[in-house]
Amino acid sequence: MPETQVKDAVDQVRASTQELHKAISDAAAKRGGAAKADLEAVPMKAKAAIDSIKSSVATQNTAAKKHLTEAVTLLEATQKHATDGVKASGKAFQTAVRQTIADARAAVQHVSEAVAAKRTAGAAAGARK
Amino acid sequence: MRNYIAVVFDDTSKAYEGLHALWQMDDEGAITVHGTTVVHRNDWGEYQVDSKDTHPALATAVGVGMGALLGALAGPAGAAIGAAKGAAIGAASGGAVGAVTDVARADTRDESRYETAWVLGYGQSAVIADVSEDTAFMVDERMRRLGGSVHRRAYGDVRDDKWFGDYPYDYYLYPYEYVPPYSPWWA
Repeated sequence: MPETQVKDAVDQVRASTQELHKAISDAAAKRGGAAKADLEAVPMKAKAAIDSIKSSVATQNTAAKKHLTEAVTLLEATQKHATDGVKASGKAFQTAVRQTIADARAAVQHVSEAVAAKRTAGAAAGARK
Repeated sequence: MRNYIAVVFDDTSKAYEGLHALWQMDDEGAITVHGTTVVHRNDWGEYQVDSKDTHPALATAVGVGMGALLGALAGPAGAAIGAAKGAAIGAASGGAVGAVTDVARADTRDESRYETAWVLGYGQSAVIADVSEDTAFMVDERMRRLGGSVHRRAYGDVRDDKWFGDYPYDYYLYPYEYVPPYSPWWA
């Protein structure tokens, strides 16, 4: 059984994007004003995730970098759609929430792919020693 | 290698143990889990998918997407979706079947392409996961110890599946360990 890994910057980014998706999907399960109030916090959380990706991307391998760059683009879209959702109502609000969830989900996906790339590179380096 | 896996358990509680074990293995760095959900088949043969989404439109989307993913994973008629022809796949929230979708087209697929077709029997549950793993052994062994049987299909193969290629499967898998508040895991 492998030892529990020391969490590095990419693991932290992954945790924050997972948290972001959780917050958005929880908000989507609510109704009316409660959903909108929760959605208001999303652009700020997305920005925090973007900032932490940007500060960690330089030290990553090429494959991880590619996924993290994609994640930034998707988190920017998350920000935009959440902002649109806060201003919208009715069907437009539902659409914006769906887009926000989809963007956040895709962003987490890319970050977890970066984690997998990092782990694979680490395992290969370990095997060469 | 990146794979979609389905781990079938006879017992719902064991399925949540399996779900937890996968995320634990991720935390240990043994595998990387990209997303998971738990699918249940009740005593009447209906399928339920764990989901937070309670809006009817979202529930329908989850039902359709998971139906497609289960079909892509389980194979043709006689496997999970084939057995469910005409039955319901719903987004289970609060224990209710949230939506009904027609999955009859699943039985038109080519049976010979699948060597590991599996059946989700009445009362069984399956953990569906998208994972990156260097070897199948670790997941297989851990799940075997919990009483689960693992069925695996390469991520790329599912993506290339001509019948189900348009569905964004990942959307229906939670990118973290999600256990619904009503599940027996909390009992």
